[in-house]
Amino acid sequence: MEYIMTSIGLSLVQGFVLLLIAPLVAGIINKVKARLQKRQGASIFQEYFDICKWWKKATILTPYTGVIFVLAPVVYFMTSFMAATMVPGFLTGQFSLGDAFIFVYILALGRFFMTLSSMDAATSFGGMGGSREIYISVLVEPAVMLAILINSIRYHSTTLSAMVIDYNEAFFTVSAVLACVAFFLVMLAENSRLPVDNPDTHLELTMIHECMTLEYSGKLLSLIHLGSYLKIVVFLALFGALYVPVEIPLALKVLLGAVLIGIVETLNNKMRLFKVRVYLGAAIVLLLLAIIAE
Amino acid sequence: MDFMVTSLLVYLLGTVTLVWPKKAELAAHYFGMLCSIVASGMVVYSSLKYLLSAGSRWLVDLSWGQYSLQADGWSGAFLLLTGVAGVIISIYALDYGKGYLGSRIRALGGLWNLFLLSIVLVLISGDAFTFIISWEIMALVSFMLVNHESEKKKTVSAAYQYMVMTHIGTAAIMVAFYLVGSSAESFSFVDMAQNSLYGYMKDAAFVFAFAGFALKSGLMPLHIWLPNAHPAAPSHVSALMSGVMLKVALYGFGRFAFQFIGMDVFWYGLIVMIMGLVSAFLGVLYATMEVDMKRILAYSSVENMGIIFSAFGCGMVLYSMQFPMLSVVAFTAALVHAVSHSLMKGLLFMSAGCVMHATGSKNIEHMGGLAKKMPYTALFTLIGSMALSSMPFTSGLVGEWLTLQSFITLSQQAGSPEMRLLVVFAFILLGLTGATALGCFVRMYGIAFLGRARTHIVEKAHEMPFFMLAGLGLEAVLIVLIGVMPDLLVNLMQKVVSGTGITPMGNPLGIMWGGSGYYALYSPALIFILFVFIGVFVVASVYRSSTFQTKNVTWNCGTVPTSRQQYSATGFSKPLRRAFDGILNPKRRTTYLRKEHAYFGRKLHYELSIPDLFNDKLYKPLQQMLINSSSSFHRIQEGSVSIYIGYTMVAMIVVLIWGVLL
Repeated sequence: MEYIMTSIGLSLVQGFVLLLIAPLVAGIINKVKARLQKRQGASIFQEYFDICKWWKKATILTPYTGVIFVLAPVVYFMTSFMAATMVPGFLTGQFSLGDAFIFVYILALGRFFMTLSSMDAATSFGGMGGSREIYISVLVEPAVMLAILINSIRYHSTTLSAMVIDYNEAFFTVSAVLACVAFFLVMLAENSRLPVDNPDTHLELTMIHECMTLEYSGKLLSLIHLGSYLKIVVFLALFGALYVPVEIPLALKVLLGAVLIGIVETLNNKMRLFKVRVYLGAAIVLLLLAIIAE
Repeated sequence: MDFMVTSLLVYLLGTVTLVWPKKAELAAHYFGMLCSIVASGMVVYSSLKYLLSAGSRWLVDLSWGQYSLQADGWSGAFLLLTGVAGVIISIYALDYGKGYLGSRIRALGGLWNLFLLSIVLVLISGDAFTFIISWEIMALVSFMLVNHESEKKKTVSAAYQYMVMTHIGTAAIMVAFYLVGSSAESFSFVDMAQNSLYGYMKDAAFVFAFAGFALKSGLMPLHIWLPNAHPAAPSHVSALMSGVMLKVALYGFGRFAFQFIGMDVFWYGLIVMIMGLVSAFLGVLYATMEVDMKRILAYSSVENMGIIFSAFGCGMVLYSMQFPMLSVVAFTAALVHAVSHSLMKGLLFMSAGCVMHATGSKNIEHMGGLAKKMPYTALFTLIGSMALSSMPFTSGLVGEWLTLQSFITLSQQAGSPEMRLLVVFAFILLGLTGATALGCFVRMYGIAFLGRARTHIVEKAHEMPFFMLAGLGLEAVLIVLIGVMPDLLVNLMQKVVSGTGITPMGNPLGIMWGGSGYYALYSPALIFILFVFIGVFVVASVYRSSTFQTKNVTWNCGTVPTSRQQYSATGFSKPLRRAFDGILNPKRRTTYLRKEHAYFGRKLHYELSIPDLFNDKLYKPLQQMLINSSSSFHRIQEGSVSIYIGYTMVAMIVVLIWGVLL
């Protein structure tokens, strides 16, 4: 009992730590992108300032919105936070609040409420974002399931702490490398990054996630942004802990992952929406090969 | 006195409304519903007794003929589900049924009781004859209930389609019973379990049993009656049909699988699993394309029955691979998901009834903003939609999680590359199904309940009367209770599975794989407490200072946004329709009604239909083949009497010659 209480406490501490560094990681990604584009770029702490700014501002609502609209950002933020408490490797030991499937479904809860809220403001943009988000998530989900499957075949468990990569066993094996590449592709799609979604634009042809947040302002907007920054960090940590077959500290993996995202985002254009199925099909095929090679 | 038999009598008492004097129609309705509430309550009470006691119990053993009633743990699980659904949906029907005042409400009440009676009888029948007779009563009564609004042409054609399909299923089940029973001492279930069936005859019995029960539970490609019959029936009837009747098919199949045929042949389970997985994905894909609320729910039933059967098939495969202990997880998953689906589909069909009651339409394209008009209905529907998208803290995820775990268990034992590929295929389909289900219910709920009213029918919408809300609320509470504290239900269902003769291996919510020392654990209560605790803190910090302003509508490039500018349901599912157009094959037709202006002010007529894949590719060619083959008999049907006399004479001569030669 005492062990469980301590573990829960440590999980929560981990969640708060990840929450604190989340805007920093987002800032680093933006800085890397700016430097690669020969720009000075904003400070890596800019995201903290942005969140504080939004937090102070008033929240403007359209008269058509209801309870779902104001509740969704809280649920979205909470699901990212709960996911942060589940990531293995930092402070959590053998204990984990949920297994890999619960991790996936907790994040799906956030998506459920965000896509619902996108329809609550009664605008075309919101519905468009929700519709596209659903489309992407349907294509991502099989790849996520296969990514869980491969580690659970290897380590005989779906508990996240048990699925942490074993460097002696999976040091640059074919299946480990393939899974690593595939999960990186999945991670970009899950977090609405280029080439699937462009987080920088506000153009109806390109945006997906931003469409859904267009109607938000003030505290609700800062919660959503905090939630998405946290989600990126959570995925980077999960990526590092579960799929990167190199033995370096996890914090370094997260940092390098953020830099890598920055590089990939600079090198790639946004893909046509209906090309995304080819992109995620590639991820699925890689995972399929990894499972056969395992 | 045993409550089970009493409950049958109370149901019978409820059918008195069929001959109730016409003047007191309302009294007849209340009497009928009260009878079904009381009787279903008794069913719940006595089902718990069978669940908790191992082995089978004889209720009534009539020595004349071969008719007997008998219940064991396996039927107990389904009796529990039936009883709970019976009580709750009857409470809902107290108010909902009033909408049928003046249109055969007495028949509705009586048949309702008869329907529940026949379902209970199927579940407690102890021999093949009782089973078939009550199965047939169930089919006929549900046919009459589907056909209740027989003024509508669509209803009648749906009802007759259901009638034909269900009888094909009954025929297959009868063949299966005959094959098993003729190799046993008698047709009672106890003797049939000791049958000496082997080889091809056993395979045939399995195929017939599976085909019959799969048809009743709506697995693809035998599902075509389901999306037509469910929308045609009154809402509380579709709630019972979808929530309970489909599960009764699982009960029957389980009896065959566990007791009569056995699960030692590998491909039996394989077929069940693959058919389940395919139905799950295709079912939810079609659901996402529909705009009729009840058709969405009907296709979603195909999906969920698919998930249930895929878990069951996974268990059969594991059992045939000599892992009986591991197969318990899969069978438990199937049962738990069956119970949870009966709750959530009951809830959503009832809320579809509420929406129809409020707006007079089932088409979600005409709605929008219902959440403001009927807040309680909206809340309960949200919980149901969350459950069907298998969100955390609802019963939906419990079944889904156990299903995923049983496939993970299969993957652990899959040594050969073929098995690996099979598991990969299963996970791809389960992943697609899960995500599409989320999209489907986000779309249904978002379009109907959120945003602004799309047509004027929403304006007169109002909150539902007490008993209808009570029905919705009870289901919602049960869904959340099971979702947060699944241990009780899961352990109960595991006990049921182990009662069929398979040894369990501890708590299925903490699955342990042999020797590896690792657990997979699901303790939603803990996550729920943390989630709510911190969530309340976040909510408090957001709403502490009142900085919310509702000044004006959204900026819309200088124009005032109209309600037509919202995304439509058809538009919402467009990306998915395009991604899977190879399967869906959508037929579009755009006509320009006025052509004087090429670009501005022209009127468009856009038509979109998505024909059911199996209807087009399987049933229509089959029907054509039947018609063609029967028209070839035209040639000998001349219509003149002398030729028919000639036929008779030829036949007589042939018979005579045959008789002489033999």
